[in-house]
Amino acid sequence: MVEAKKSKKESKSSKEHKAPVTAAPAPAAPQVQQKPRVGVFICHCGTNIAGSIDIPALQEYAKTLPNVAHVDNYQYQCSTPGQNKIIDAIKEHKLTGTVVAACSPRLHEPTFRMATKEGGLNPFRFEMANIREQNSWVHMHDREGATAKAKDAVRIAVAKASLLEDLFPRSVPVEKAAMVVGAGIAGMQAALDLANAGIKTYLIEKNPSIGGRMSQLDKTFPTLDCSQCILTPKMVDVGRAQNIELMTYAEVEAVEGYIGNFDVTIRKKARGVLTPQEAEAKGIVGGGCNGCGDCDPVCPVVQPNEFEVGMKPRKAIYISHPQVVPLIYTIDKDSCIKCELCVTACGDKKAIVLDQEDEFVKLKVGTAILATGYDIFPIEKKEEWGYKKFDNVVSSLEFERLICASGPTGGHLIRPSDGETPKKVAFVLCAGSRDNTGVGKPYCSRFCCMYSLKHAHQIIEKIPGCIPYIFYMDIRSFGKMYEEFYYRIQDEGAKFIRGRVSHILEDPETKNLKVFADDTLLDRPITLDMDMVVLAAAVQPAEQTDKTRKMFGVSCSMDGWLLEAHPKLNPCGTTTAGVFLAGVCQGPKDIPDAVASAEGAASAASIPIHKGEVELEPYFAQCMEEKCAGCGMCVNLCPYSALALVDKEGKKVMQVTEAKCKGCGTCGAFCPGGAIWMQHFATPQIVAQIDAFLLGGEQ
Amino acid sequence: MNSYAFYLGCIAPNRYPGIEAAAIKTGKKLGIDLIPLKGASCCPAPGAFGSIDLDVFYAMAARNLVLAEQMKSDIALVCNGCYKSIWEVNHKLKHNDDLRDNVNEVLKEIDMEFKGTIEVYHLAELLYDPKIVGIEKIRESVTNPLTGTRIAVHYGCHLIKPKKERHFGSTDRPTWIEEMVEALGAEAVEYRNKMLCCGAGGGVRGYDIVHALDIANEKLINLQEVQVDALTDICPFCQLQFDRGQIEIQEKFGATYNLPVLHYSELLGLAQGMSPQDLALDLHGISCEPFLQKIL
Repeated sequence: MVEAKKSKKESKSSKEHKAPVTAAPAPAAPQVQQKPRVGVFICHCGTNIAGSIDIPALQEYAKTLPNVAHVDNYQYQCSTPGQNKIIDAIKEHKLTGTVVAACSPRLHEPTFRMATKEGGLNPFRFEMANIREQNSWVHMHDREGATAKAKDAVRIAVAKASLLEDLFPRSVPVEKAAMVVGAGIAGMQAALDLANAGIKTYLIEKNPSIGGRMSQLDKTFPTLDCSQCILTPKMVDVGRAQNIELMTYAEVEAVEGYIGNFDVTIRKKARGVLTPQEAEAKGIVGGGCNGCGDCDPVCPVVQPNEFEVGMKPRKAIYISHPQVVPLIYTIDKDSCIKCELCVTACGDKKAIVLDQEDEFVKLKVGTAILATGYDIFPIEKKEEWGYKKFDNVVSSLEFERLICASGPTGGHLIRPSDGETPKKVAFVLCAGSRDNTGVGKPYCSRFCCMYSLKHAHQIIEKIPGCIPYIFYMDIRSFGKMYEEFYYRIQDEGAKFIRGRVSHILEDPETKNLKVFADDTLLDRPITLDMDMVVLAAAVQPAEQTDKTRKMFGVSCSMDGWLLEAHPKLNPCGTTTAGVFLAGVCQGPKDIPDAVASAEGAASAASIPIHKGEVELEPYFAQCMEEKCAGCGMCVNLCPYSALALVDKEGKKVMQVTEAKCKGCGTCGAFCPGGAIWMQHFATPQIVAQIDAFLLGGEQ
Repeated sequence: MNSYAFYLGCIAPNRYPGIEAAAIKTGKKLGIDLIPLKGASCCPAPGAFGSIDLDVFYAMAARNLVLAEQMKSDIALVCNGCYKSIWEVNHKLKHNDDLRDNVNEVLKEIDMEFKGTIEVYHLAELLYDPKIVGIEKIRESVTNPLTGTRIAVHYGCHLIKPKKERHFGSTDRPTWIEEMVEALGAEAVEYRNKMLCCGAGGGVRGYDIVHALDIANEKLINLQEVQVDALTDICPFCQLQFDRGQIEIQEKFGATYNLPVLHYSELLGLAQGMSPQDLALDLHGISCEPFLQKIL
């Protein structure tokens, strides 16, 4: 019943919200204010605040502050009764502004703005004093100090609330298109969901084919499905979907604009090969690459195939594996010798253009999803295990290719040194993960335990008598049916040793490996002779993640993974409105989690598009034209190109494009004539806050 | 000429005085002037003191540092254990104000104050650094090349580990001392499990000699496999473990190796023409004679 009431109120309020949009713009100068009457509401947050701050003392103090007309406190100010206290007080005491002393504005500013609005005030007449995150939680054992600091915070907030003015958010239309960067399993799923929801979606992939890391895997845990078998139908769907415009071998070059209206420049890297559509556009009827492969055998250049982690050759003109989407060959420009044998072999299709150059395409999209994935940590940096020094020490990704039927050995696991079948294989878990030595990564890479269990199963299944030895810290079998899978592998005969591998030595003649570890369950050192060692290497953000995220204004955490807006309550969003995250670019995820996060991101990214318009917070700069000298210095300072000089009544003045302005304040702080009014952070408001703090309220 | 306060430590002057003589004399020819740090105490030993009473450990090391600060000289030393104590304490006191205040409180009693004005170097890093000496200068200083000899290197643990607190590059496959060995005309030889500890450090030799010797014995077996003429080290304690340790291993395990063990300074001295008498090689537990016969 409460919910019904609330939603009714919300729909009413959203109608009200829209009204001022078409009305006259907000005045560009301080509004004439009546004598301020501020209401202060102090929240206990249970014992979160009341446990460390003297609420009655704070309440008595607030009453003494200038312009304060009403003070109240409540156990949970964010609850419905708590909000009603604010609504009722505004009406009863004819308040002009409200202050809530509670938690961080990131948590409940929207809640209290709404309450302020329901009380009949403009929602921007509300100011929050954070006395929890920045006070009671950090000064838990200093009640006196915390109370004094809370008094400061309330005094400062009251000073600002006395000068707040009515503001009206602007709405801008949203472009009915979305973009997904990265076409691994997460990016593909997000694009498919958006496309199925009727949204035109551009899917950008830097490699010649979609499919990402998942297409390199042999089987998936714990179901043991063949990875390609479950992935390729989705790849085909992506290739065929009407609403998806697939751009492979392409990268994001530049991003401008804001939610609803991103202008994106895509660099289509020169592939050297025309698609049938491109050929047709050039007037070559029935031409373009049809994937026949006639060019491949004639090409004289041999290079390692990156898809096979370098363990299989490819030509300079190549597809990396048979199931690529789109089925279009690509020329590796760095190794092509331009002998033109492929051009001859291609014949009438005229698909090959050796001197093709990069092309730039402009797109306009309303929202974007980053799904840029991961790379493998260069595990040779952990020297003690001898990767790249010892032939028979391989990474897990190499193991995937070696055990995969379509891999370089046709699925026969062999020792790289001599091609023999190994009988004893060690798996080193947490290789570079959960590593505080400063060489590896401090975080858990999350899916290595499970795929190593899968690897153990695969060698038991394929090689009779072969024993896997798993060196682990903890087995993190966290998902649905994962723990059961762990027991199954134990029953199948895998040996588990709880302890890290300290170092590995190679016998220079036999290339066999001696593995030294600490068995922490038996509390003794252990040395085992192995035929092969597989390092479950840590994962890290994909190579170009940092460049891409900066173009979209997305933050990252210390370890480089892209940062979500809130780790629990907004896991797909970012602090840049309209930009969302899917898959491992945000942090290590296995396939089910990556797909789930992609579906979440697609849903979140479709909301503004379906809504058709987005509201921008009205923290725009405003030009006070009577003071503006038209010097134009602010125009060059603006990092968002939101300002311009215009002629108005025979005078040059600055004009703000509100939709582009982020309210950073660079222009306002600089303007030599004080002619720029930063809405909601205006000079008089900030000065009043500083005065309130420094003068202790004696203004 | 770069001059340094020469911190000797305990084992070098008491057991292998040739290291001291070699360091000072070879240094002179390479532009390194080593001036003895007068009044220095034990470093103190990182295992023996550091694991029992850290306050004493920091204060004693700081006192040695202050002596060098008063000389206005950086410290050069020849022992990995001393490096661990003195370099690390210098580093920690420079970066941790609380610790520094505590230590200075103690030093006040003897009218001393740690100011953090100097650096600490191992002699080996000064010799390898092309800005100070470098491989080329070492090669040029050689008058009696060690041609025809096969020499293995023992790095020792405290100089290059823990990796995140050191700056010597690879901790698992370093080769820079091999480069310095080859500069003397010898052939540097790799061997199995090169980076294994000597077995003596961390108080193990004092606490459980059999265990300590067992580790040294494993290294000696690995060295025997590759048939070297000598083992070189940059730490007198490692040298003690391998040199006198061979006699103990013979007594306790019955294994005989007779592998000469020389500090890099001693090798450098021989290559620069110092006599075995100058280097007091007769004080070594294992005779260096077979090795000397190859080069003299």
